[in-house]
Parts: sequence; structure tokens; C-alpha cells
Amino acid sequence: MNLFGLMEASGSAMQAERMRAEVVAANMANAESTRTESGGPYRRQHVVFAANSVDSPFMNSFADASTPSSLVRGTSLPLGRGNSEDMIEAGVHIAQVIEDSAPPLKRYDPGHPDAGPDGYVAYPDINPLTEMVDLMGATRAYGLNSSAVQAEKSMITAALEIVKS
Amino acid sequence: MQIETQLSNQLERYLDLAVSEAKLTAANMANIDTPGYQTRGMNFENEMRRALEGVARGEAPRPVDEKAVDGLISRPDGNNVSIDREGLRMAEAQLKFKTGIALMHLDKERILNAIHVDK
Repeated sequence: MNLFGLMEASGSAMQAERMRAEVVAANMANAESTRTESGGPYRRQHVVFAANSVDSPFMNSFADASTPSSLVRGTSLPLGRGNSEDMIEAGVHIAQVIEDSAPPLKRYDPGHPDAGPDGYVAYPDINPLTEMVDLMGATRAYGLNSSAVQAEKSMITAALEIVKS
Repeated sequence: MQIETQLSNQLERYLDLAVSEAKLTAANMANIDTPGYQTRGMNFENEMRRALEGVARGEAPRPVDEKAVDGLISRPDGNNVSIDREGLRMAEAQLKFKTGIALMHLDKERILNAIHVDK
């Protein structure tokens, strides 16, 4: 059991939620993008969260953190390394970022350079309301996990008090 | 000579359990948006009773028995983490931990007083 492991779990959630907010920002920024590298209009992106299992990649990177090369790559902190049994990584990670398969919105605008032969332009199907609600959810979850980090920090500080007289 | 008291052994288990509770809560909080995630929890009172019996018999600590919490309302994506429950649990675990530290401090003071009794 390790208090630093707790902070890792909350930290992974903060990282994942921030990523989600970034994806929302990208979706809103590209609400009117009719051109992408892959052709066609921009497609809305979703993040998919997944709970970390006991043998997460984090544990593996922890296991080889003793080799100098992995420290250089900065895969993990060499902090709070417990025995593998009680180091249960309980956080979250982003399993994948998927593209929305909804068909693009068609708007009639014959003067637009990306208009088809029928005069319709394909715009991304992005609803600012949905995006804002998603952003709010991400903000709230980020705040929740950051208050968990505060709680864990104060527990570590309290534990340090034992050695003070 | 033995400096460890029974109280300090019991407090050690108590602190371990408080950390376990905080760990489960942190995991639940981290997975608040994971589809299909079920809230994990433990029964602190039962675990503490078991730990006290273990201390009395001089046994090594056993792993915490954690299980899915029922009675929570699931969202459409199958996740049933409640912000209120987890926030409350985290505050509770934090206070338990600090109580344990304060008691441990008292225990240590008592031993130090016995050492410095001639001063």
C-alpha cells in the first residue's frame, strides 16, 4: 500500500480528463473545417476511457525503470516503488480516440470552393451544445481528481509528522 | 527490550486500512467517466475487526477484501460512480488517517516521556 501510488492514480485521471478537454477544443475549433488531410470534412473525435488493469503498461515501464534508458525517456518516476504485489495501478487511461461516423452536414453554398457539383458543402456534424456539456464534464472530473490529489498530499504530509517531535 | 506497543501495532493496521479506503476511492474517482466501471468498496468496520484479531494473535496483515458496491444508480453507459459518495469517502479516509497519525504521535510521546523521565 503506497500513498504515492494513490497520487499516480488520480494523476492519470487528470491527464486523461485534460486530453478529453483538448479533444473537445479541437472539435469546436474545427466545427467549420471542410478540408482535412484525409479528404472530406473534419470528423468529430471521441475519447474512450478504460480502467487500468493490474498489469498495465505502467507496471511494465515501472519494472524496467531501473535501466537508465527508460529514465532518459522519462516513462515513469522512480518514486514509491513497492513490491509488485501491492503496487496495484488503479487509475484510468485513454484506450483510443475514435472518429464519429455520423454523416457530414450538407449546406447549400455554391460559391464555396469545396462545394460539390450539386452546390452543397459537407460540414462537420459538430453541435456546440454537446461539446460544451462534454467540456463541463471533463472540467468537473478534473476538479474532482485534483481535490483527491490535495487530500492525498495532506495525508502524506500528516505521515511525515510522525517523525517530528 | 521492546519499544513497539500493542497500540502502535493496532494503529499501523488502522493507517493501512485508511490508505486502502483512500486507494479504492481514488480508483473510483479516476474512473468516473469509464464506461461500464463498477464502484469498488470495502467494509471498514469488518476489516478493522479482523485486523485487531490479527494483531492479538500476532499474525501478518492480510489483504483487504474489496468488492463491488451495490445500491448505486448506474448511468446509461453502465458506470455507477457517484461523485458525492466518493467525495465523502475521501474526506472520511483522510480524517481517519489523520486521527491515526495523531494517536500514533501520542503513543510516541508517551514512550519518549518514559525515556526522559529523569529530566
